Amino acid sequence: MKPTKNKPYTYTLILPGMLLYAVFFLVPSLFGGVLSFANIGRFSFSDIRFTGWTNYMNVLTDDYLSAAIRNSFVFAFATTLLKVGIGTALAVFLNRRLRTTNYLRTVAFLPAVLSTVAVGVFFTSAMHPTNGMINRFLHAVGLGAIAPDWLTDPHLAIYSLVGIETWKWSGFTMAIVLAGLQSISKDYYESANLEGASEWQQFRSITFPLVLPYFNNALIVNLIGGLKVFDLVQAVTQGGPGSATEVFGTLVFKSFGSGRLGEGAAASILLSLIVIAITLPTWKLIARKEVEL
Amino acid sequence: MSRKRPRWAAEAAGLLLSLLVVVPLYFIVVNSFKDKASAAAMSLALPRKWFLLSNYAEMIDAGGVLTGLRNSAIVTFATVALLIVLCSMTAFTLQRKNTRMSGLLYLLILLGLMIPLQIIPAYFITYYLHVKTYLAAVVMLAVTNFSFGTFLYTGFYKSIPREIDESAIVDGVGPYRLFFGIIFPLLRPVTVTLVIISFMGVWNDFGITIYFLNSPRNYTVTLTIFNFLGTYSSDWNLIFANVVLVSAPVVIVYLLLQRYIIDGMTAGSVKG
Repeated sequence: MKPTKNKPYTYTLILPGMLLYAVFFLVPSLFGGVLSFANIGRFSFSDIRFTGWTNYMNVLTDDYLSAAIRNSFVFAFATTLLKVGIGTALAVFLNRRLRTTNYLRTVAFLPAVLSTVAVGVFFTSAMHPTNGMINRFLHAVGLGAIAPDWLTDPHLAIYSLVGIETWKWSGFTMAIVLAGLQSISKDYYESANLEGASEWQQFRSITFPLVLPYFNNALIVNLIGGLKVFDLVQAVTQGGPGSATEVFGTLVFKSFGSGRLGEGAAASILLSLIVIAITLPTWKLIARKEVEL
Repeated sequence: MSRKRPRWAAEAAGLLLSLLVVVPLYFIVVNSFKDKASAAAMSLALPRKWFLLSNYAEMIDAGGVLTGLRNSAIVTFATVALLIVLCSMTAFTLQRKNTRMSGLLYLLILLGLMIPLQIIPAYFITYYLHVKTYLAAVVMLAVTNFSFGTFLYTGFYKSIPREIDESAIVDGVGPYRLFFGIIFPLLRPVTVTLVIISFMGVWNDFGITIYFLNSPRNYTVTLTIFNFLGTYSSDWNLIFANVVLVSAPVVIVYLLLQRYIIDGMTAGSVKG
């Protein structure tokens, strides 16, 4: 019975897509594993010299390179926490009918639409130590004494980037959670009200479990996005000052520019392994909760 | 009365909060009309003298913004078109076939949602295969968005009843006419979602284009702003004019089609 059922659907439809995906995504992923053990200076097969674990050792032990790993983690965890927290708060806030709901939702999502580089340009000006909008505001409200060098202070720069990223993507996270809140049928609440369930009970046994898959998605998407970050850092600080905002993405870009391709490949492979090691268990953990509830 | 006040307060809090987005946008636009000295002061004041089009004219003239717009249009159009065709076809067969093979292939595709593109080996392979500039950028942007598009279509196919396929098959329709003639026209809602989301992603892309479109001749608009920041670092009026030119198309598209985005989020978040 099965074979006849499958007949009208043909694998030739998937051929073009799968072929491109395999050649330009899957093969590079595997080939990256090979290159990460090699010393290559240019894009030629004859130039590949295998050097064992050297690239990985360099990435992990070099101060400059290991700063990238540390910064990627700080950036990913801090931004995920902030974006999911603020995004969820916004979603709950804008899940009701206010006169300005449509306007507020539109504005909240707007930063996600702008190019990261454009956003980076704006914040480079806004975080200017003397003329920038943010420090001027601090001076105006009497907090001039704490007005920091947002992007040039090595201890602060990575957190300034966290702030920019949060500004840009919180509204996007809001949209995901909001989609979840809106997918919940009003009937549940009506019958819960009839049963006399309290607001907290309704949240705990209706809202929370039904919105959890969306929340899960938001969390994973932000975690992966945070670990992969490149455009924002490159546009605003290029990894500096020193190595204060170096992340995996800028590391790969620098190795590409300087011809240390093997190290770039190793960093990239490490990033993939870290992404998988963090996101899979997180996703599974929350997915299991969904079933239980 | 006690009911009315919180609502009013919420309204006010919301409007106040929205300034966090509105003020930066106002700031960029207003400073794009100033002269160099007053833009460098970075104030929110309206220009004393409106340099209405001179900054924009200079940008278009010297900044290569027109070339950038053309390149962005080429790359974005080609990538989005490719994504629609490839993702809708792939998702159809994979969702309808219920075999171990199709499950495995789908899993392989979902992997692309998670792991980042290995950029150096990818560059190596395009270089080796002589796939260069626009074509390379389009191919790479297509494969990095392929997983998301296929995922989106797969979710949508679950809502198209198999009875449609079956009645067509009874009428003697072959697999290709089934897909292109009957199924594909039904996909409009999800295709609109994919178009908007991938349009924005590709138009704004920086992480891939910076590697594959690496000469000013084939810079997209996003790359022109980045390039600008280096060469015109003190001409904030020009930089902001550039930002406005580059962002305008995508903001306009967003404002026109925003309701589809939330729909798309819902579709994209459907459990697999």
